Amino acid sequence: MSALVRDLAPLLLAGVLGPAGAGKLFGRGTARQAPRTALARLLRHGGRAALALRVLGALELLLAAALLAPPVTPLPGAAAALLGAGFLGYLGYARAAAPGSSCGCTARRDAPVTWRAFVRAAAVLVGGGAAAAAQRPWWTAAGHRPGAALCLALAAAVALTALSADPDRRWRMPLRRLRLRITGHPLAATGARTAVPIAATVELLERSRAWQSVSRVVRSALLDHWDDGGWRILQFAGVYGGGPAARPVLVLFAVDAGASLDTVREPAVRVSVIDADSGAPVMATA
Amino acid sequence: MSAYRTGDPLDRRRFLTTTALHGATVIGATALGAVDADAAFAAPIRPLDPAVAESAFAEGRITAINDDVLAVAGSYGDHSRVRVTGATSVWKARATTAADIETGDGLYARGVPLPDGTLAADAVWVNIVNLHATIRGIEKTRLHLAHGQHEIVGNLMTEATSAAYGTASPTADLSRLTIGQSAQVLGAWRPSDGSVDLVRVAVAPGAGRRR
Repeated sequence: MSALVRDLAPLLLAGVLGPAGAGKLFGRGTARQAPRTALARLLRHGGRAALALRVLGALELLLAAALLAPPVTPLPGAAAALLGAGFLGYLGYARAAAPGSSCGCTARRDAPVTWRAFVRAAAVLVGGGAAAAAQRPWWTAAGHRPGAALCLALAAAVALTALSADPDRRWRMPLRRLRLRITGHPLAATGARTAVPIAATVELLERSRAWQSVSRVVRSALLDHWDDGGWRILQFAGVYGGGPAARPVLVLFAVDAGASLDTVREPAVRVSVIDADSGAPVMATA
Repeated sequence: MSAYRTGDPLDRRRFLTTTALHGATVIGATALGAVDADAAFAAPIRPLDPAVAESAFAEGRITAINDDVLAVAGSYGDHSRVRVTGATSVWKARATTAADIETGDGLYARGVPLPDGTLAADAVWVNIVNLHATIRGIEKTRLHLAHGQHEIVGNLMTEATSAAYGTASPTADLSRLTIGQSAQVLGAWRPSDGSVDLVRVAVAPGAGRRR
């Protein structure tokens, strides 16, 4: 089995380098992504980083082609191993110098440097070494044991997908969507809720003339609220009067607990302003 | 002793309810905007009353709580002291009291500067976050959100989390949220685990159609 892995390494490695290289070289997102990569910090210029990413992409594509095509020589494998070592060094730099920045590894997304990127780079290093040590062409090895070769290729594809920089987009989100379609929406029961959220009541209040009439008195945001007999009471703190006569007050609003801007355009709101210390009415509105 | 002065909050609420319902009724709408949780992100308020000093803001992490004064280390290296009184509104995912404020919480406060250097807070928003995210997963008790490169768990609060679909009013119906939707999320960050208690999830117009 190990001989098969070694001999199929050029094929598997080409499967890793080819798509990554094509993404960097031809991807429309390369120029957009480049300034946010650690490479831009290393090269001190986003434009130079984009050019470097495209050159790297071309190199990866060339290596992939060399790994796939005859003649069988250790050179492409050794070059890929060197590339993997370079990736590891770059990732180490990126993690230390620009944590949180994108690595530019796949040129598909602004994925930050994570353990997945390190494992991918290590896989290129190890795969390059194995490819350099291959004893026979990959197509010959696959022809001798096609079943085992197919299983190996599938396992490598699964591992590559799992190590992908954007697993959410590739498989986690579709799986979650599928689960929702099969099992139903987990929050379907909330569709039957008729209670108006406090946020909707506050929104209604803040667009009422009642609010406008006393807003100059109100100083706080919502202090407290509760429902009572179909009314929703909203309590604010404020200051009434100016200078030495200024005194702290409570501003109380009573709003229909079942009303929102979707159901009422001209809300009827009851307003009271009372002294915060004594509870005595302070001002009349309307 | 009147019901207003008793220590029983139910008695007090009953008194305040009666007072509110005896207040003047004002009918009509206005185009004036919001001042509640969203106001934490609004420009400083310029009071209409010239006798009232212009509002000042403070923000940062609470490093110490000494009675009613919060020591706050600002995001830009500044330090401030915020005084919380009985008239200060405290928001921490919901309207609450100063007793819920903890050291390590993030804070955004609006108030009036006092001569002693403290900020007498009119309103305090604790751990408030308002961010743009993509819904990546939906479960019974939480949403999985992506904000830039960060994955965030959004905790759904029974009877408290609302959704706003397009320009419609916030509703308790969360069943029209779908995976992949872009959303503006208002909530309270939990310093202990980095998750966010979701208060309002607003999705774009046209989103939220029943499938």
